[in-house]
Amino acid sequence: MSALVVSDLRKSFGGLHVTKGVNLTIEPGERRLIIGPNGAGKTTLFNLITGELVPDSGRVMLNGQDITRLPSRQRPHLGMARTYQIITLFARNTIVHNVTLALLGLSPLRWNPLIDIKRQSHLTEQARAALEQVGLGHIADRPLAQTSYGERRRVEIAMALAQKPKVLLLDEPFAGLSIDERQDVHRLLMAIPRDVTMVMIEHNMDVALEFAERITLLHFGAVIVEGTRGEVVADPRTREVYLGH
Amino acid sequence: MSARNLALLVAFVALAALPYWMPGVYYINVGSQILFYAIFALGLNVLVGYAGLVSLGHAALFGVSAYAVGYMLQLGFGHMASIIVALIIGVIATAIFALLSLRSTGIGFIMITLALGQILWGLAYRWISLTGGDNGINVTSRPAPFGYPLSSPVTFYYTTLVVFLLAIAAMAVFVRSPFGAALMGTRDQPRRMNALGYHVLAIRFWACLLSGLLTSVSAILFVYYTQFISPQTLSLTSSAEVLLMVISGGPGTILGPVVGAGLVVVVKTVVSGFIERWNFLLGAIFVAIVILMPEGIVPGSVRLWRLMTRSRKNGKAGPAP
Repeated sequence: MSALVVSDLRKSFGGLHVTKGVNLTIEPGERRLIIGPNGAGKTTLFNLITGELVPDSGRVMLNGQDITRLPSRQRPHLGMARTYQIITLFARNTIVHNVTLALLGLSPLRWNPLIDIKRQSHLTEQARAALEQVGLGHIADRPLAQTSYGERRRVEIAMALAQKPKVLLLDEPFAGLSIDERQDVHRLLMAIPRDVTMVMIEHNMDVALEFAERITLLHFGAVIVEGTRGEVVADPRTREVYLGH
Repeated sequence: MSARNLALLVAFVALAALPYWMPGVYYINVGSQILFYAIFALGLNVLVGYAGLVSLGHAALFGVSAYAVGYMLQLGFGHMASIIVALIIGVIATAIFALLSLRSTGIGFIMITLALGQILWGLAYRWISLTGGDNGINVTSRPAPFGYPLSSPVTFYYTTLVVFLLAIAAMAVFVRSPFGAALMGTRDQPRRMNALGYHVLAIRFWACLLSGLLTSVSAILFVYYTQFISPQTLSLTSSAEVLLMVISGGPGTILGPVVGAGLVVVVKTVVSGFIERWNFLLGAIFVAIVILMPEGIVPGSVRLWRLMTRSRKNGKAGPAP
């Protein structure tokens, strides 16, 4: 059974067709890279997969289950997690509280108005473990406002990993990072175990190509090339619309 | 004992002993007013401070519960039945408000709550057979729970104080709870909360109900205090006043709305006895708060206190060699 299947997905905003019958099949444990020039519809595709946008037609299957019409808030409960191109965190709180919120999102405890969240040691321990995984365990209690951009990127990934997803969607995780930070995040992503299927949008080809096993090239909302890393890089259409000559 | 706990202890002792050190009955009544308006402000603060939803229709919800008590008593029901029905009706009215207004946030939420508040205010004026119109409804007696009559200012004050302390304790538990954390998450990053698996709309809805419950509790105390309810209680001015309490004291804090309620009630009832244009003074105070402490009196004072203690410590440490 494929981890994620997208069939003939279409989306228009008025007269603008941003997703034109996209098909994707991603196998369990696969590392898939989605590339394309600006405006190709990559983030829109992520938003359609995660349910933040409702498709006009087509289907999205997660581990064999049709989730096309499922509200986006229910998808994390089925094992789908994502990060955002523009960092979207809780700036007033500590790093560990950010990750605790991610854990709480999947727990029935989130409805409890009577217990003290800080006394839920199992949540805090899991949050700290996720932060250790991304190398931020030593600054877990630091307010998010006092962290660097690169650290925040890693907090985003920790929040996604804390939910123990089966499919992880990463929207430009290297955007805005320095060379060293890029290497750190790259090592971190490479260390994620194979039971997590990963789909990544990225422009930074140096690090992204190392990550990818298969690549999908989107252009004007349609898949124009798909294949292994070598096949896609060698394809003249990739050079024409994306990599350049 | 930390400075914060010491200040809270002093405040508690001062409140508990207020009837003994206040110069007269008038000021004990002012104390009661501050306390029940503080509960009202705490209720609105659940939305404004913790959910990021500014309501301009809360006085209407306040009025619904107050009218419910007055009407039930007028029909001949006892105090206990009237209070329970008022709480239920207040929460149901809040649920209707929430269902209609939560489709929107920001300016849309403000405008819908304003419109709903104005509708109820208009009904209070025009539905004379139910509300008595401009003449309002008189409440002829106060209850006597467990043989403890609330007819005197002192007993009423202590009852209000107990309810106020319960409301503060409830808020303290709420803001530390997972649900409280979830609500604050929906205030800061609703889209992210949705992507993390939270039902943002449902969380906001339950927060509205909590807000409505506190509003109803304060309204019941209010109507027994004044022993009268009229459409003026539901007016936009009343909604704006309680919003002013929350914003001036510090939204998103527990003590902020209490301090804000104290400020507004003291200016409105005490200072107005000395200054005819007390509205002008209240406006000037509000402008000063916005300029000097835009986060509100309580968080602003904490910030200034920390700044002072830090600079004093630095001064003691002396210049670097």
